[in-house]
Amino acid sequence: MTITEEPLALGSGVTFAQRPLGVLTRPQAQGGWKDWVSTVDHKKIGIMYGVAAMFFFVVGGLEALLIRTQLAFPDQGFISADLYNQIFTMHGVTMVFLFIMPLAAAFANYLIPLQIGARDVAFPRLNALSFWVWLSGAIFLNTSWIVGGGGANCGWFCYSPNSGIVFSPTHGVDFYAVGLLITGIASLVSAVNLIVTCLNMRAPGMDLMRMPVLTWMLLVTQFLLAFALPVITVALLLLLFDRTFDSQFFDPDAGADPLLWQHLFWIFGHPEVYIIILPSFGIISEIIPTFSRKPIFGYTAMVFSGIAIGFMGWGVWAHHMFVSGIGPISVAAFSMATMFIAVPTGVKILNWLTTMWGGKLHFTTAMLFATGTVAMFTIGGLSGVTHSLAPADTQQTDTYYIVAHFHYVIFGGGVLGLFGGAYFWWPKVFGHFLNEKRGKINFWLMLIGFNLTFGPMHVLGLQGMSRRIDTYSAGYGFEFWNLMATIGSYLIAISVVVFFYNVWKSKKEAVDLPPPGPDPWDARSLEWSIPSPTPEHNFDELPQVESFDHWWFQKYDIDDEGKVVRIANTDDVAQDGSATDVHLPSPSYWPLVLAIGLPLIGYGIIFNLWLCVLGGLLTGGAIYAWVLEPVDDPDAGHGHDDHHDEAAELAAVASGAGSDNEGEG
Amino acid sequence: MRSRRNLSGLVVLLGLLLAGCASDAELDTLKPQSETARQIDDLLDPVLAIAGVVLVLVCGAVAWLGWKNRVASYEGDDDFPEQMAHNNTLEILMTGVPAIIMVVVAVMTLTTHLDINSYDDANAMPVVVEGESTNWEPKIVVVGNQWWWEFRYYFSEDVTAESLGSDMKNLPPADIVTSGQIIIPTGQEVELLVTSRDVIHSFWIPALNGKRDARPGFFAPWKIEADNPGVYFGQCTEFCGLSHARMRMQTIAMTSNDFQAWVDQQMQPAAEATGEAVLRGQEAFVTNCSGCHLVDGLNGSEDISAPVQSGAAPNLTHFASRTTFAGGILSTYNDDGTFNRDDVSRWLREPEVVKDNAANDLPDGTLPRGMPNLGLSERTISDLVAYLETLGPRPTDEIIADSEVE
Amino acid sequence: MSTATATADTHHDHDSHATNTGISNNKLAMWLFLSTECLLFGALISTYLLYKTRGNGDVLPTDIFDIPFTSVSSFVLLMSSLTMVLALSAVTRGEMDRGKAWLLVTAMLGGVFIGGQVYEFTSFYREGLGYTTNPAASAFYTLTGFHGVHVSLGILMLMSLWVAAQQGKLTQKNTETVEIVGLYWHFVDIVWIFIFTVIYLIPPA
Repeated sequence: MTITEEPLALGSGVTFAQRPLGVLTRPQAQGGWKDWVSTVDHKKIGIMYGVAAMFFFVVGGLEALLIRTQLAFPDQGFISADLYNQIFTMHGVTMVFLFIMPLAAAFANYLIPLQIGARDVAFPRLNALSFWVWLSGAIFLNTSWIVGGGGANCGWFCYSPNSGIVFSPTHGVDFYAVGLLITGIASLVSAVNLIVTCLNMRAPGMDLMRMPVLTWMLLVTQFLLAFALPVITVALLLLLFDRTFDSQFFDPDAGADPLLWQHLFWIFGHPEVYIIILPSFGIISEIIPTFSRKPIFGYTAMVFSGIAIGFMGWGVWAHHMFVSGIGPISVAAFSMATMFIAVPTGVKILNWLTTMWGGKLHFTTAMLFATGTVAMFTIGGLSGVTHSLAPADTQQTDTYYIVAHFHYVIFGGGVLGLFGGAYFWWPKVFGHFLNEKRGKINFWLMLIGFNLTFGPMHVLGLQGMSRRIDTYSAGYGFEFWNLMATIGSYLIAISVVVFFYNVWKSKKEAVDLPPPGPDPWDARSLEWSIPSPTPEHNFDELPQVESFDHWWFQKYDIDDEGKVVRIANTDDVAQDGSATDVHLPSPSYWPLVLAIGLPLIGYGIIFNLWLCVLGGLLTGGAIYAWVLEPVDDPDAGHGHDDHHDEAAELAAVASGAGSDNEGEG
Repeated sequence: MRSRRNLSGLVVLLGLLLAGCASDAELDTLKPQSETARQIDDLLDPVLAIAGVVLVLVCGAVAWLGWKNRVASYEGDDDFPEQMAHNNTLEILMTGVPAIIMVVVAVMTLTTHLDINSYDDANAMPVVVEGESTNWEPKIVVVGNQWWWEFRYYFSEDVTAESLGSDMKNLPPADIVTSGQIIIPTGQEVELLVTSRDVIHSFWIPALNGKRDARPGFFAPWKIEADNPGVYFGQCTEFCGLSHARMRMQTIAMTSNDFQAWVDQQMQPAAEATGEAVLRGQEAFVTNCSGCHLVDGLNGSEDISAPVQSGAAPNLTHFASRTTFAGGILSTYNDDGTFNRDDVSRWLREPEVVKDNAANDLPDGTLPRGMPNLGLSERTISDLVAYLETLGPRPTDEIIADSEVE
Repeated sequence: MSTATATADTHHDHDSHATNTGISNNKLAMWLFLSTECLLFGALISTYLLYKTRGNGDVLPTDIFDIPFTSVSSFVLLMSSLTMVLALSAVTRGEMDRGKAWLLVTAMLGGVFIGGQVYEFTSFYREGLGYTTNPAASAFYTLTGFHGVHVSLGILMLMSLWVAAQQGKLTQKNTETVEIVGLYWHFVDIVWIFIFTVIYLIPPA
């Protein structure tokens, strides 16, 4: 999986009309790396998100291995306390902000337009901007290892006043604050973009209640992002102002209240949990029906439970603060609210089970990951219920029981699902399968390793092992289970190596194998009605959607007796990607340039304000250039001078193409 | 095949989980030793049981369905199962049953929650302080510092958050100030007012109650009580910086007679120094340590404003009456009951090796956090150890044995 | 078998943005952006409300508010919303000269407000309320400063529209662009009305 491979190369001769009309010209599609850095294609951006996320998965994973190696035996000095604190902080930050969120963004970018029958997202250049800004923030965050005197050492939750300049004098926390601000901008822009896409860019007939569950869950996720990120933005700015400009937001000696940070952080932080988990819920809601040969059970319930989780996710943040002294009435209220979020979550689990009920289950690797997700997430959900008992949580919080819980949710519920998604959509994205045999080895190693790592942490937590301790003493009963967890973590590492090997080897083997065709899994949603890999223009013509699972109903019908009958061969109803001269948005370098300016401003705030000027000039210049850049449309050259206009253009593209649909034959 | 292995794996896991908790562990949360901790446990146990049942049902269903409904491939198979997309009864049931379970759990939780957050206001016990009998509403102020705990006893007045003020670095003078080990009378609900002088810490004695964060600028109410005399272990559980892992504490519960004896002893000023080495040690203490540490009767009787970030260092008046030091990570006495000269010396010689801190080589404008390395000579160290050994009576063998830390 | 009917887009109709919601992408994006801004200001306002009495023994913002002065600058900002409406309505009718004039007036009123804020900050500073004086001061300056930055960006946008109109690039066809900038401007005004009421007018407990 490298950036140079070109899974989207087209044989159909798509060309870009280039008629410079403004001050600046837009780059043309040239092939090679320039194509990637200037692309505004949602698919390429999705792939870049995926590649970068997997890179940071490796970084965060290595950090995890260091943590587990240190904790394998009691009283070890494998890494120092200071370094340990940096590593566990960066492990958390990396996995949450630089791995799972962008990997979910990869799926969102690639699949939302395909699933709703659109040619691209609403704002393609903003989409490129989101990726580059996120990447620049991610790299910025990690450069603190080199230039910041080490990583942030305050924990991913970075509670004040420990995060203040007095208690964390190195630049690690500054990098944390600025880095997350930058990645936050990226996610915010992306959220607005994808919400508009979902609401405005659907193919004719694609009502909201016909959208696939994945698209729905991603849409809910984007809403959560849109409303959660401003809050953490404020929190991070206040932290940065305290550390840089000496403001008094978190200094208890000046009368400030450390709880302010906790509230702001968790008002963001709890929806963040659902931001992480809902995409995976969506993914397995696509995989399970496909490999059960049944429609998803309770589509409406599935959608509304997702929305309910999204809403309720806003009312439970203080369950992270049961022992912080917020007062018994608040605790009671948040405890109750937390319990009832279990209801929509339970509905989801039961719906997946009912989908499998009476189905014909084909255990491909993707299906294994999906069912594994259901089981593992259930464990995480149940331990979550035990935390919602506020009195019990006073025993559990900040112990390894919590570490176990959220890894079952985030890894078991989130990461396993995302891996399932990778196996499922790999042929669609890259035009060849990932090897199933190696995939199954990947799955079983990961499942066993995962349970061996995090299962014992339940025991450790209940035995009273605190979180975030760099070592522990012998004699508390912690030795055996810690060793097991460490062994498990290495198993996970091996499973990830198997995955990468599979990616590499499967690509090599693909030349000798028949291509997967448009719909290798006999699946249900629109992305399977077009060739694999997806042509650059997505759809030859936009589909005229008539029902939920529209694509499946192109292939099958249900007769009067309720029996499924095939009405068409897949290849006959699938598009062949042969359309030419489909107008696509032109590439642009300015998103990248703009994104490079932001970390410079960040370094400037931390080290030298002159850098801020440089970064500001770069960013400001890029915005200026962006606005003046022609939209590359012969007819749209007049009168357009603001950066919003590309959307109007695309909408016109969509409607123009869509109106020409002939239906099926 | 996948399914069955999955199921058995989970059952094994569950079994191990329960087995693991039964092993000997000082911090075990499932072995309550007080009324409050029992209430918490009694709440958790049935929910764990319900969760266990749900777990087995769901994972069992995944496994069973996976096994029963599996097919090797769809190749050439155009026979589809029944396309059931919804079923109102089933869906109402699937929402209703979890909801009902949660209502039951919610009621149980609320009851326990309100119970453990109520405080007994009529539990005063007589304590003789300096010959005068007072009615003490058992209440102890718990103060977190990087990286040790201070415990303050006020017998003469009923302290409240208001009476203590908001300046954690200048708390009103207390009758007894100790650190590392909080001494409580058995069978008494002891109210705690938990706070911090620097960052957020969390006070937690699992056998006696859940935890409560120590937050600067705020006194969080909490309580502990112990059924029986004994030593109960704890560990700071809110990440508090560098030596978070090395910030421990113990609760020593005593009968009310023993508690009274302890109070009597702690109210005394430090023992008079006698003997050559001890006197030299006392002198070395005044030279090297008295800027931060108080020995009542030697360098004052009220808290010292120490030039460290938290503004405080442990009160050493009765150092040797405590069985742990250095933030609860080292034992003051050896197995055989003799004074642990080795570890005390080590702590004086190279504290930064014994326990990570930020007390030397500081960035500009910051104060030390933790015990600095003072570059003491071996001779000074030996004298200081001799002096420290005289500070306070040796606790009972039983307490020494029970409170031993690795 | 309706494949391979390549449909090139040949026509562009700027008046019909055929979106599912009927709201153009740009406008929808602006609405979404503004709704996220609510959370941003919500967090900042909450921070100030939590800290407004925490003076650490020093002067509090509430001690030195000059309500008559701020009322006048608030009124100026409120009036700028009116002129914004007039600008939009002029552009909608194609009266570009009038539209340009109202855009300029709107930007100038915004400028007056910013000037007032600069004056207010300066005089507060002279009265001993620095940014780092106490939590109340930090929260006050951060909140109102953020609002000021928003107003300034709004002025920048208005001026850009004015320049574009001056160059003939902004015409009646771009009514929606003006409308979207107007949305932003009204939002910033409404936020200020909220800040003025909650922060300035409601006396400390």
